This record gives sequence, structure tokens and C-alpha cells, in this order.
Amino acid sequence: MKNMTFTAALLVACFTSPAMAQAAERPVTLDSDMKLERIVEENGNRTTLLVDPEVVVPGDRLQFVTRYNNVGNETVNDFVITNPVPNSIRVTDDSANELEVSVDGGVNWGKLADLTVTDEEGVVQPAGADDVTHVRWSIAELVPGAAGQVQYSGIVE
Amino acid sequence: MIKNSHYLLATVAVVSLGATPALAAGVLAGTDIENTATATYQIGGSPGAVDSNTVTIRVDEVLNVSVTTLDSGSVAIDGTGAVLTFSVTNEGNGPEAFDLTVLESIGGNDFNANVTFVAVDTNNNGIYDPGSDLILTTGVSTPSVDPDDALTVFVGVSLPGGQTDSDASQLRLTAEAATGTGAPGTSFAGQGAGGGDAVVGATGADDDDLGALIVSLGGSPLVALTKSATVADPFGGTQPIPGAIVTYSILATVSGTGSVDLLTVSDAIPAGTTYVPGSLALDSGSLTDAADTDAGEANGSGISVDLGSVTSGASHTVEFDVEVN
Repeated sequence: MKNMTFTAALLVACFTSPAMAQAAERPVTLDSDMKLERIVEENGNRTTLLVDPEVVVPGDRLQFVTRYNNVGNETVNDFVITNPVPNSIRVTDDSANELEVSVDGGVNWGKLADLTVTDEEGVVQPAGADDVTHVRWSIAELVPGAAGQVQYSGIVE
Repeated sequence: MIKNSHYLLATVAVVSLGATPALAAGVLAGTDIENTATATYQIGGSPGAVDSNTVTIRVDEVLNVSVTTLDSGSVAIDGTGAVLTFSVTNEGNGPEAFDLTVLESIGGNDFNANVTFVAVDTNNNGIYDPGSDLILTTGVSTPSVDPDDALTVFVGVSLPGGQTDSDASQLRLTAEAATGTGAPGTSFAGQGAGGGDAVVGATGADDDDLGALIVSLGGSPLVALTKSATVADPFGGTQPIPGAIVTYSILATVSGTGSVDLLTVSDAIPAGTTYVPGSLALDSGSLTDAADTDAGEANGSGISVDLGSVTSGASHTVEFDVEVN
């Protein structure tokens, strides 16, 4: 009796695998990726190459990429991608100043220059790139088939 | 752990700032960096949400070390020797052991000290404690050092004979990451702390510093006698068999400050041997055996040479022969 119940549960699990569930229920797919930024200097010109992060050490710059795709048949509105910043990562100044960010765990959002943090002594200070806990991107409308990617850069602390 | 705390932030919006104690050396080797993005949207008037896949990468070990002398200036050395003190700091992001080497011969040295031991300050009191601090034998690495931590290392030295006050010497302590060294960026696959690779950092995974010694004998001159012997047997060999001639050589050296007066070198003729008449010599010049106007005298029981007043830095050699009975 016990064995039969177990088999039935397994079958259900197979039929509702995550991929199928997403295709059936989610009109949008999200795909996350991490790349290592390698700055190459040639003839005085600096270019940034994105490589697979095989060896990563403190000080390295990583690019956190999220690809989205409206795979459904309907238009999606108010599309907001939120990316929590891992603890060991400090968002680069460029990304922190360019993107909509939060410095309080995703409660309040805005431009970094408009945000503040309260230090240990209770003094309110302008927020810095190392205070950023989350970054996000807002897209008003995703028509069926619309796809793209967003990214930010962070430094391994 | 890191991942979990961020999920907490994202879902229930707990504000927790400055909770990550960042090491100077960076994120600990073996730490996983995980990334998951979330999207929210409206579709047909209803809210929806989707999570991305989670990507994980592991932070590898970077190998960096610094070596610094902890002595504020030259350490005084006398006939009892001296101890030089260094710190060896793990500037990497993983626990690492280090191989230590000492080079006594540095350009410009007045003398090269003799290294008697290399030890680790196991009780962290900054003072060498014989018998309790860990002596590192040649070829043995230090114990593992945590990131950002420093070991205090002692180098014990003795003073070779013949030095005078204010003679100076330096020696170099080098520490190399036990995992490996090389050009920055050199990697050692699978050998990093925490299971990743180990990568040589900007320091080349090795460093060194100089420690300095200065001779200070406390004002009084020091006399050192060094005796050596060479044997010539009747068959052209060097066996101390009956009939063999043993030539004894006594080197008298005065070090320190000033001079010594009335310095006399005397030695007994060893049992089982006979003094060879007329063999006594001072600085390669023959002396008569008789107690007369020259500096030396010798008989069947012993020799004696009066060196008189000898200034620091000077040395004299007394030689005589005996025959094995």
C-alpha cells in the first residue's frame, strides 16, 4: 500500500516538471548568467571581454546577466526584474549610479544619489555603491515574442 | 548561508546592513556566490511572478603573503647570540601554510651570522620562549595561517668568532605559500582552500624582509681559541698510528673593543705522544724550545707562547708537532 502511494506521487511529479509548468503557466522566462569581465589592453585601447568564470578571486569583476523572453501569446505590462546582490559582491560605481537600486533590502527604491543609510551611531549618510542590496529594471510593456537582457557589474569583495 | 540571508532580504524585506564582515583579503576561498533574479508583471489584469534559474560560482583561493621585520632597528648580538623577529601575514583569502627560508649571506655584510633555529611564536607573546615555541626544522612548513592572520617568526643566530663591536650583518627571511608560487595569475587546479583552485596573487605568493644585527660585546674584548690537528703517518697517509706526526694549530682571535694584555697560549702534550723538539712556531715563524728571549718555550709536558698585548680584530696562530708513540 505504501509503495503504491509512492509510485503515484512520482508520476505526478513527472508530469508537472518545472519546465512544463513554466511553459504552461508562465508567459515570461527568466534566465540568469554570470560572466567574468576581463579587461584587455591592446595598443593603448582597453576592451572588456566577457568570459566564463572558471577561476574567480577577490577583486574580480563579474557581470550578472538576466535574459527575459515573453514566450506567451499576451502582452505583459509593468514588467520588473529584481536582482538581489549577493553578500560577497559590491556593485560597481557605474552600475550603482546608472540603475534603480535599493539600499535597504528592497523596501525603498531610487537613484543611489537620492538614497541614504543610517550608520551605527544613528547618523544619516548618503548611500554608496557598497550599500546597494538590490538592483531592478522596469519595462512598461513586453509584447509576445519580446526578448532582451539586463545586467549589472559587481566586484568580488 | 549567504544565499539564504539574501532570500530573507528579498522576501520579507528584513533590513540588515553591514552584516557582512569583509576581510581585507576578500571573500573567503570556497564561498559560493549565487545569483537568482525575480520578475513581477501584470498580465490580463492579474499579477504574475517568475524566478530565474540560480547560477552558482565558487570563489577560489588567492595566494598572497607579506613578511615584515618586527625589530625596530639592528638587534645587538654578542657571544650568546641573538633572536630576530619577523611577522608573516597571510594576505590571501584562504587558510595557507608557508615555507620559510633564511639567507645569511647578504651583500655588504661584515660577517654572516650562523642560523641556529627558526621558530613560530605559538603562544603569541612576541618573545621567543625556548622549549615552548615551535621550532621549524628544515623543509617543514609553518602551521596553517588563517586569512588576515599573522605569524610571529623568530630567527635565532649565533656570532661567528673574530668580530668586533659595531660589525653589522643582515639576513633575509623569505616566506612562500606552501601551495605554490609563481607569476601572478598562475593557478593550481583543485588545490585551493574550500575546494576550488588556488591562484597566485599580486605578491607572487612569496615575500621577504631583512633583519639587521650589530655586534655589541659589552665593551670587553673576547678571546677565542680554535684548535685543529692534521696527521701525517709514515706511509704517506693520515692515520694516527705509531710514528705518525700530528701537527696542532691553535688560532687565537681577539674580538670586541680595545685589547687584551699578557695573553699566553699554552697547551699540554697529549698522553701517548711525544713533543717533536724544535717544532714550535708562531705565525709560521720558528721559536726555540728554551725559555729564553723569544715568545715561546716547549718541553716534554707542554708548550707555552706569550702573545703579550693583542688588539681586537687581530689573530695569531701557534703550531707544534707531536709524534704518536
